[in-house]
Amino acid sequence: MREASDTLLDRARKGDARAFEDLAREVERPLFRLALRMLGQSADAEDVVQDALLAAWRSLGSFEGTSFRAWIFRIATNRALDRLRARRRRPESPLDPPLGDDDVIWSEPSAPGPELVDIAGDREALVVVETALATLPAEQRASLLLRDVEGFAYEEIALITTAEIGTVKSRIHRARLAVRNALVAKGWQGPAG
Amino acid sequence: MHPFADLSAYLDGALPDERRAEVGRHLAGCEICSARLAELRGTARLIAGLPDVRPSRSLVPRVSVPVWMAPLRTLSAIASGAAVLAFAASTLLASASLTSTGTPAVAAPAAAPQASLDRARGAGGAAASTAAPGPAGPQDASSPSAQFSAASPAPAPSANRSVAESDREKRLDTSTTAPPVVAEKGPTGPEAVALSVPARPQLGPSPWLWLLVAVAFAVLAFVLQRRLRTS
Repeated sequence: MREASDTLLDRARKGDARAFEDLAREVERPLFRLALRMLGQSADAEDVVQDALLAAWRSLGSFEGTSFRAWIFRIATNRALDRLRARRRRPESPLDPPLGDDDVIWSEPSAPGPELVDIAGDREALVVVETALATLPAEQRASLLLRDVEGFAYEEIALITTAEIGTVKSRIHRARLAVRNALVAKGWQGPAG
Repeated sequence: MHPFADLSAYLDGALPDERRAEVGRHLAGCEICSARLAELRGTARLIAGLPDVRPSRSLVPRVSVPVWMAPLRTLSAIASGAAVLAFAASTLLASASLTSTGTPAVAAPAAAPQASLDRARGAGGAAASTAAPGPAGPQDASSPSAQFSAASPAPAPSANRSVAESDREKRLDTSTTAPPVVAEKGPTGPEAVALSVPARPQLGPSPWLWLLVAVAFAVLAFVLQRRLRTS
């Protein structure tokens, strides 16, 4: 699979349009699921992915890295973040609040009561996770999705999001903790509960 | 002190070896940190297990030309070329028939046999030829004008010609003093051509047909180009 992709990448770099289309088909769905969770709207996500793939084809000649996947995710992530900034109409304002040193709060599980909805199974838990992700600061959300859904290493996420590795580490931790807190707030008892 | 801030990185295997070992040792003796690590692991698994989503359409830009479309491109180029050529042909034909307006289609061929006939006869009556250009001149001059006036009906010129010819035969038969001279035929030819009537059938289809062909090819080329662009 990996070797096949490398061959495709070599051919695409030499201008083989079909090889590029095959490569693009491999990443199309992963890119879309990231873009959708970043933007929340299917039409916007589709536009971003299509634009990113087209931009990748146009600048494939200048791509010198080894990981096409990381490279195309970088293009798509940047475009999704740009679109979020445009939505805010204040392009210069940062998407995320500056990170403090270690001010992350671990919320304690609430005492189970009659009004508290217990999360019986994964299905309900997944709804909570989706909702919690949607409320995360954009760059934290991108980093967490790139890690937990797409399986990128921290170094790759640093490249994709153009951030220091320490920043990536911090973003992932905060984001994951926020989702954990949202789950706990709904009565989640942890993986065994 | 609990290594809370490093738990996610520990989980992801993203800590430097030394720090990783430290956190590992701490976890072995700390229930709180072990529980939180388990929660983070469970959270990561839930995120990884989010339902997959699919786009409603293909998002892969079509940057290659499909196999079936390659000949289409060639065809489009050929159609464009054919349209230009057909248009040029129609223009040439139209202008050719315009410059030859007034000449009956048969005028030129008619003049030629007549000229050769005259030449043949002129050889016979060469001695007398220079003597009397008078009657021959008017007669020949009247012939084109008659042809011109009767130009529109197609059969008229030939009828006219035969009349003129038989007239001439008569004159020759009566051994007139004025056989037509070869030199006199000179002006008649061009004059007749200049006064000719429309289309010459021997040049092929009418300009309108060529124009139609040109338009047809142009439309074909346009449609093909559009198809190529949209795909």
